Amino acid sequence: MKEKTLQVLVVEDNAGDVRLLREMFSGEKVGNFEITHLLRMSEAEVYLAKGGVDITLLDMGLPDAHGLDTVRRAHAAAPDIPLIILTGLDDEALAAEAMTQGAQDYLIKGQIESRALPRALRHAIDRHRMQAATDLIRTHQMEFKDEFLSHVSHELRSPLTAVRQFVSILLDGLAGELNPEQRQYLEIVLRNVKQLHSMINDLFEVSGVQAGKLKIELQCTSVADAIAYTINTLQGAAASKGIIMLPSDIERKLPSVCADPARVRQILIILVDNAIKFTPQNGTVKIRARICEEHADFLLLEVSDSGCGIDPNLTERIFERLFQASDPALADHSGLGLGLFICKDLVTRQGGQIWAHSEPGKGSVFSLTFPIFSLPKLLAPVFSEERQTEHPVTLVVTKIGSQTGWLSNEVRADQCRGIRELLRGCLYSNLDVLLPKMDSAGPSELFFIVAITDGIGGGAICERIRKQLDSSERLRQAGLTHSTYYRSLGVIKRNATEPKEDFLETVAARIQELMNEEASSKQVRSG
Amino acid sequence: MDSRKKILIVDDNQDIRLGMQVRLKANQYDTFFAADAVSGVAEVLKHLPDLIILDLGLPGGDGFTVMERLNKIPTLAVIPIIVVSARDVIGNQKRAYEAGAKAFLQKPVNDAELLAVIRQSLAEAEETKKFTLRDEGSV
Repeated sequence: MKEKTLQVLVVEDNAGDVRLLREMFSGEKVGNFEITHLLRMSEAEVYLAKGGVDITLLDMGLPDAHGLDTVRRAHAAAPDIPLIILTGLDDEALAAEAMTQGAQDYLIKGQIESRALPRALRHAIDRHRMQAATDLIRTHQMEFKDEFLSHVSHELRSPLTAVRQFVSILLDGLAGELNPEQRQYLEIVLRNVKQLHSMINDLFEVSGVQAGKLKIELQCTSVADAIAYTINTLQGAAASKGIIMLPSDIERKLPSVCADPARVRQILIILVDNAIKFTPQNGTVKIRARICEEHADFLLLEVSDSGCGIDPNLTERIFERLFQASDPALADHSGLGLGLFICKDLVTRQGGQIWAHSEPGKGSVFSLTFPIFSLPKLLAPVFSEERQTEHPVTLVVTKIGSQTGWLSNEVRADQCRGIRELLRGCLYSNLDVLLPKMDSAGPSELFFIVAITDGIGGGAICERIRKQLDSSERLRQAGLTHSTYYRSLGVIKRNATEPKEDFLETVAARIQELMNEEASSKQVRSG
Repeated sequence: MDSRKKILIVDDNQDIRLGMQVRLKANQYDTFFAADAVSGVAEVLKHLPDLIILDLGLPGGDGFTVMERLNKIPTLAVIPIIVVSARDVIGNQKRAYEAGAKAFLQKPVNDAELLAVIRQSLAEAEETKKFTLRDEGSV
C-alpha cells in the first residue's frame, strides 16, 4: 500500500537548524514527507489555519513569539494537529511545561538521532490520532450515559407517581376507613416510595456531576434573585407542612456575587428543601444574606430551621459523599446521602465555603459564602507588576447575536459556554483577562477581554477571534452571528504614589463605563 | 352561581389521571380529562375549565405545544396552568414558566403540595378577574 505523503510544517528561524532537520529526512523515500518551512509565528498561524498539515515542529524562540506563547498560538490555530517542540538543552523544563499547553512531545536540538526523527514524527501522528479516537468514543459514551439516565429516571418517575397518589388516597381515607394495622402498613409503603423518589433524583444529579455536566460558569450573579426563586419554588412544599418560610435580615443593597446563578439556585434549593424536610409542622425556615463580617470580600448566606438539629459531632461528616443519618427517626427522610455532598462540591468550586452549626433539638444553621463580584479584582492580573505597561490597554468586544435579532436565554446558556472556551484560547498572555458574563439584557450576548497589547495587538486578537468564530460549526448550526472589535484605552500607568487598590478602582470604573456603552448600543457592528 | 371549580387533567397515564380525579373530587373540584395534546386543546374549548393540570410528555405534541396553542386565544390564555411532569427540572421548569405556566411540579407529586398550588392559582385567577371587571366597569 502506498503511504500518504505526510505534510510537515517546520517553524524555525535558525537556518542552520532547518538544514540539519532537512538532512535527517534524506534517508526517507521521496514522497514520504513533504517539509514546509516558515520563519515567523504569524505566518505559521495563517498556514495552519488553512489546514492540510499533518504535524508541526515548532521552535519556541521565534522573532514574533516566545516560549509558551508559541505553543498556545500554534495550538489555537490548529488544535487538531500534533505539535512537537524543538528546544535547546537549557530549555528542557520549559518544553516539558509546553506539553501541558497542547504539545505532544519535545525534541532537544543537537540530540536528535537523525534516523529516529521520521519515526518519531510517524509515532506522534499515530498517537495523536488514537488519542482523538479515544476521546471521541469517550464523549459518545458519556452522552449515551446521560441520555440513558435521563430516560430511566423519567420512566421511573411516572409509575412512582401513581403508587404515591393511591397510597396517599388510601391513607387519607378517601376510599373508606382504615383500621390501624392497614394504616401502619400503608405508611410504610409511602415512606419507601419517598425514599425511592429521592434516590432517583440523587442518582440523576450525580451522574450529571460525573459527566462534567454541572459545569460552572462564573458571572455577576444576584443572590437576592436566587433567594426569591428558591422561596417561590418551595412555597408549596413548605405550605403543605404549615411551615413559614421567610427571607429575613437581607440587606437592601446586597452586592452581586461571582458565581453561576443556576448553581446558586440549585444549592439553595437543596438546603431549603432539607430544612423543610427536617422541620416539624408549623416550624420556621429562614434565609439570610449579608456581607461576611470576617471577610468583607465574601457574601454570607444562612439557611436556618427550627427542626430536629444535628448531632454536633456530625456537622462535618454530613457533607461527605453517601453520608446517612443513623438516627431511625430520620430514616424516612434519607436519600442516597448526596444532596449536601453536591452542595459542598458546588460551593467549593465557586470559591466559597459551606459549614453547618447545630444543637440537637434547637434546629440547625447552614452557612455558605460566595466571593463578592469585583471588577477591580478581576482586572488585577492585567496590571500585575511583571507586565510591560508601555503598551495600550485594550478592551476587545465580541458580540454574539442571532439572525432573528434576539437570543433566547436558553440559546445563550447553551452556546456561550463553548464560545467562552474558544475566546480563552485566543488570549496571547495568561495575564490578559476574559471577563465573566456581566448582564444578560440586550439584544446580543457580549464578551469582553481586557488585554495589554502592542501597536497592532488589538487588531491581531480580533482577527484571531473572528477566524475561530468563523470556523465554529456550532455557531453556524445555531444560526448565530458574531462580530468582534476593540476599543483602546491608551497606555495606563500607575504612578508610584498611588495605592494599587485605588488605581485598579479607577481603571475598573473606566472599563465599566466602556462596557456599559457597548451594552446599551443596539447596533451590531459588522465584521 | 356554581362555586365548584372545573379542572382539566391532561396526562397520557390513565392511572395518574384516575389518582388525580379521586383526590380532586374529594376536594370538591369537578374534573375532565384528555390523554393527548390535540384532545387537550379540544377539551379546554369544550369545558372552559378554571384550571389545567398539564403533563409535558404527551402523544400528538407535548405540553408546550398545548400551551402555545392556548396562548394564541386570549380567553384561554388566562386559564392558569400547572405543569406536572416527570421531565427534568433543569431546562423544563424555566421553559414552562416562560410559556406561562403558574407552577412546575415534578412527578411524583405530593398531593398536599398540588392542592396548595391549585388553591393559590385559583385564588390569583379570581383576583385578576375581579380587577379586570372593575377596570372594565369604570371605563
